[in-house]
Amino acid sequence: MYENKKYLTIAWILVLPALLIRVFTTIYPIIETFRISLYDVKLLRGINEFVGFQNYLNIFQDSKMITSINFTAIFVVGSMIGHIVLGIALALILNMKFAGQKVLRTIVLLPWAMPMVVIAMASKWAFNNEYGLVNDFIRWFNPSFKLDWLIHATTASNAVIAVDLWKDLPFFAILILAGLQFVSSDMYEAAKIDGAGAIRSFFTITLPLISKNILVLSIFFTMWRITSFDVVYAMTSGGPGESTALIAYRITTEAFTNLNTGYASSIAVVLFLVMALLSALSMRAAKRVDY
Amino acid sequence: MFSNGSKRILLRCLMWTLAIVVAFLILFPLWWIFVSSITPSGELFSKPIKYWPVNPTLESYSYLIENVGLLEKSRDTIIIVGLSITIGMILSVMAAFSFARFKNKGLSLAVAFLLGSMLIPDVVTARPLYDFLRQVHLFDTYTGLIILYISGIIPFTILILQNFLSDIPVSIEESASIDGCGFLQSMFYVTLPLLRPAIATVCIVNFITCLNNFFTPLFYSNGISVLSTAITQLPLRDNMYAVPWDLVSSMGWIIILPIIIFVGIFQRQIMEGIMAGGVKG
Repeated sequence: MYENKKYLTIAWILVLPALLIRVFTTIYPIIETFRISLYDVKLLRGINEFVGFQNYLNIFQDSKMITSINFTAIFVVGSMIGHIVLGIALALILNMKFAGQKVLRTIVLLPWAMPMVVIAMASKWAFNNEYGLVNDFIRWFNPSFKLDWLIHATTASNAVIAVDLWKDLPFFAILILAGLQFVSSDMYEAAKIDGAGAIRSFFTITLPLISKNILVLSIFFTMWRITSFDVVYAMTSGGPGESTALIAYRITTEAFTNLNTGYASSIAVVLFLVMALLSALSMRAAKRVDY
Repeated sequence: MFSNGSKRILLRCLMWTLAIVVAFLILFPLWWIFVSSITPSGELFSKPIKYWPVNPTLESYSYLIENVGLLEKSRDTIIIVGLSITIGMILSVMAAFSFARFKNKGLSLAVAFLLGSMLIPDVVTARPLYDFLRQVHLFDTYTGLIILYISGIIPFTILILQNFLSDIPVSIEESASIDGCGFLQSMFYVTLPLLRPAIATVCIVNFITCLNNFFTPLFYSNGISVLSTAITQLPLRDNMYAVPWDLVSSMGWIIILPIIIFVGIFQRQIMEGIMAGGVKG
């Protein structure tokens, strides 16, 4: 019924407000980011001149940036391994049929529903050597334990990853759980009759069936991790030194604190291109994997 | 080995153990934040931590109300989040309706753009957007913040609503038009009521998304501060540690408690909302 041409105007009027908002908040600024990235803009010194791709070349000679890239890589890989391994385990726990199922699922939703800043601010204190929750907990088992987590680069990185997992792993697990609902119980019955144990049927039935789901989820979770900002902003402020400054945090520091907008934009463009490339590649991979 | 009965008991025990471990890992830190928030600030420096309040006090909360402007910040948060969800929903329903019912090249392109723009990270657009908002005098205004919050929820909302709308047959609207309904009438009185469950679910998820939005208020406002940014700007107390833990824990709990209640009430809808987005995603 809507083939009539007069409806086309209505169609566009309906779409327009949403479209305009998105254009002004994403398309316009991203074009600006591209443009500024070709300029040397130092607001503090009033410099604003065209430098071509110089900013881009500087990225790979900036030791702070290299630290950032390294830590972002560690953060993303470490966190994603945790997400996948523990996420599957947690999804299976959530899928157990027992009286507490509904309550447990509600509890697991909580970390997802909370702002990362609150968790990260609390974590700053939780990882305190003397009075923090984490060490207090460890001292239940090992009374002489001592470690100031956020003062050393390696332990601070681990702490950041742990907090990220606490916050987002439950969400990941719930999404895997959604996929598990589609695995019919007939298959397990059949496997049981054929003599397969629980572990065997997990690896031969469950895992292959949900692997595409996990792959697609991992793509999105990887993207989100590459652009993570809140956790580091509130928990470590990129420290100690620059060791936990994720790329997103580095960009905002350059753009808003050092007022080095040209350089910040060039990092932003690289980040954007990496994201675009990754999503294109992984979408293609996801299409190919089909069970 | 084991008999069938004892095997089942063993399995039960294992299930409950796993469930309790998971629940403990999630709830225990929250409990710790709560206890800290009602512990007198001096007693926070004790080893080992007391997980049961010995001298409960509300002094941190009253400090937040008197000196940090907790009530104003809560009010601002509610205004911004409430308006964003409402306006965002209206705009998204309009767009989703259009996308689900009308087909042409331009519109397909618009959908692709709207959904594709989800992949553009906040940090990439931050600095130009900040300068732009300053130029048009929307920086640090309710209007500016609300526009940005709306922008954040539009793609997800349209995605879910459009999926729902595609499942509602056009024939319903056709019969309405035969009965003499105009376009707007049939949209309002026929299609919209059918969409109500989807709208409720998406609103609930959007509420959480908006409430947790930290990046937008951090960079695009100054004077207006919502709860999520306020927690990072608490005044430092004169102690040797960089965290005013008494205030952070009580501020944190003020943010967390409504969320716990909210999740408890809407558990089912939230699950549906997440899964609807997740399976398609």
